[in-house]
Amino acid sequence: MEKIICLENINYHYHDAISALTDISLEIKRGERFAIIGANGTGKTTLLQIMNGLISPSSGKLFFKGDEVLKQTLKDKGFLRFFRGRVGYVFQDSDVQLFCPTVLDELLYGPLQLGIDETEAMDRAFEMMKMLNIEHLKERPTYMLSGGEKKKVAIGSVLTMNPEVLLLDEPTNGLDPKMQCFLVELMLALNEAGKTLVIATHDLSLVDELQATVGVLSEEHRMEKIGSAIDILKDEELLLRVNLIHEHIHRHGDMAHRHIHSHYLFHRHER
Amino acid sequence: MRDQIPPFLLHRPSSDSFRLEGRNLRTPFLEKGMDRLAEMIKTAYSQWEFASREGVFQKIDARIKVLFLIFFVVIVSLKKNIGSEGLIGIFVFSLMLISRLNVFHLYKRILLLGLIFGSLVALPSILNLFGEGEVLFTLLRLSTPYEIWIYSIPQEIGITKEGLYGMVMLTLRVINSLSITFLLLYTTPFPEIIKALKVFRVPDTFLIIITLTYKYLFLFAKTVEDMHLAKKSRLLREMRHRETRRWVAGRVAFIFRKTRLRAEEVYKAMLCRGFSDTITIRQTAKLRQCDWVAGISLFLIGCLLLWI
Repeated sequence: MEKIICLENINYHYHDAISALTDISLEIKRGERFAIIGANGTGKTTLLQIMNGLISPSSGKLFFKGDEVLKQTLKDKGFLRFFRGRVGYVFQDSDVQLFCPTVLDELLYGPLQLGIDETEAMDRAFEMMKMLNIEHLKERPTYMLSGGEKKKVAIGSVLTMNPEVLLLDEPTNGLDPKMQCFLVELMLALNEAGKTLVIATHDLSLVDELQATVGVLSEEHRMEKIGSAIDILKDEELLLRVNLIHEHIHRHGDMAHRHIHSHYLFHRHER
Repeated sequence: MRDQIPPFLLHRPSSDSFRLEGRNLRTPFLEKGMDRLAEMIKTAYSQWEFASREGVFQKIDARIKVLFLIFFVVIVSLKKNIGSEGLIGIFVFSLMLISRLNVFHLYKRILLLGLIFGSLVALPSILNLFGEGEVLFTLLRLSTPYEIWIYSIPQEIGITKEGLYGMVMLTLRVINSLSITFLLLYTTPFPEIIKALKVFRVPDTFLIIITLTYKYLFLFAKTVEDMHLAKKSRLLREMRHRETRRWVAGRVAFIFRKTRLRAEEVYKAMLCRGFSDTITIRQTAKLRQCDWVAGISLFLIGCLLLWI
C-alpha cells in the first residue's frame, strides 16, 4: 500500500524548554486505520497537529504523499489547497472548531473554500446532515447544541471537504455510550469507503473495536512500539509501563480483589 | 451505516499532484494579532512558571527580590551622573549572568524598549529649541533669531551638551529600571511574586483575584490559540477582511460566553469548598539564613551605589 503520511525523527519542544515529542518516526499507509495511544500528556495531540501541519516540529520531517510539508510550502496557495483539502482534522474540543453562525454554515464552510459551486456544496451539506442524522439542527447556532451534536457537526464540517485522511483527536472523549457506538460505526464505514483514519486516544476499547495499527507513546514522549491492535493489547507489560492499564481493587458482592484493569481488556478475575 | 455514506465521500481526487502557485497566503492582521497575543501570554506564563531555579538569583526568596526591585529603582532615579548609572547597569548585568539568564535575548528587548521610551521620547530635548545650553553640533543657521509668543527660536539651532546629557541619563535610567524588573520577572515564578506582595500588606482578597485572573488569562490564551489552529486546519484560501472581522467578532462572543460560564463554575467550586466572604491564604514561610545574607548584601551594595 502507498505511504500517505510519513514522519521522520520528529522532535517538538514547547517554548524551547518542555519536550513534547522525542524522535518520532512512523509511516501511515493509504486506507489504514492508525491509532496513536498514550497516557495523558504524552504528546498525542501535538503529534496529530504536526501531521496536519498546524504546528511545525522543532526538528524532523513530515511527508504527505512523498512531498515534504514545511511551514514555507504551506504558505503557498497551491500546496495549501492540495494539503488541507486532503487532510481533515477533528479537534478534541468541538467548541473551538465550530465558528460559523449555524450548523448549515458550518457544513458549507469547507466546500465553499475549496471552490466547489454552491449547489454542489449545498448537496454535500444535506447529504452529510442526513448521514449524521442532524437535519433538524440545520438552522441551530452551534453553541446551542449538546456535546454529541457538536461532535457530529465538527466531523461533518470536515467530511464535507471529502478529505482522504481524517485525523481525529480523542473522538469518543466525553460522549455517551450510544454516541460512542455511532462514532465507531461511522469511522469503520468511512474507512471502508477508502478514508485513512488516524486517531489519538487513550481508550483501549476503541482501539480494539477499530482493530487499528497502533503506535504507543511513552511518558518520555517516545514511540515505544508500533504493532497490530492484537499485539499491542496483549502486551500487558508494555501497557503497564506506559500507564495505560493499572492494578486496582474492586468488589463483587462481599468479595474484594485486585487485578490489572484497563477498564476493558484485562478485566480478568484470577481469584 | 455503510449504506448511508454519501456518494461524494467515495470519490477520490483525480490527481495526487499539485501546482505551486508561487503566491504566498497572507494572514490578516486581526487574526495574526490575536494569535501573537495568545502566544505571547502563553510564553510569558511558561517563562514565569518554569523560571529556572539553577542560578543564584533564582534561589533568593521572592520577598527579598521585590524589595531589591523597589530599592534599586529608587536608586536609579536618584542618581544624577552617567558613571553611577553605568555602574548600576554593570551590576545588574553581572547578576543576570550569574543567574544564567539568556542575556542576549533579554537585552535585545531591554535596549529596544530603552531606545523607545528613553531616547525617542527625549529626542527633541537635545535641541536648543527647548532649553538653553552649550551647542555641540549646529544643525541649522537662520538669518535672524525669532520670537513667537512665548517661544524663542535662536539663530543657531543645534544639539546641546546639556540636552544630550539629559537624553543619555533618561535612556540609562529606563534601561536600568527595565533590567532590574526583567531580572526579577525572569528569575521568579509569578505566583511567588504575588505572594511576596504580602510583605507590603496587600490584602489577601486582592492577591487571590490577581492570581485567578492570571491563571484564566493563560487558559483563555490557550483557547484562542486552539481556535486559531482549528480555523487554520480548514483554511484553503486568503480570507477577506470582512470575513476575518466576522470571525474575530464571533470568537470574541464565544470567549465572553465561555468566560462567564467558567466564572460561574469557579465561584460554585469555591462555595462548595467553604468560601464565604473572606479569603485566607497560606502564610509565607520564614526567610532562610541565605535570604537574609543576600538581602543584606544587596542592601549594602545599593547603599554603596547611592553614596558613589
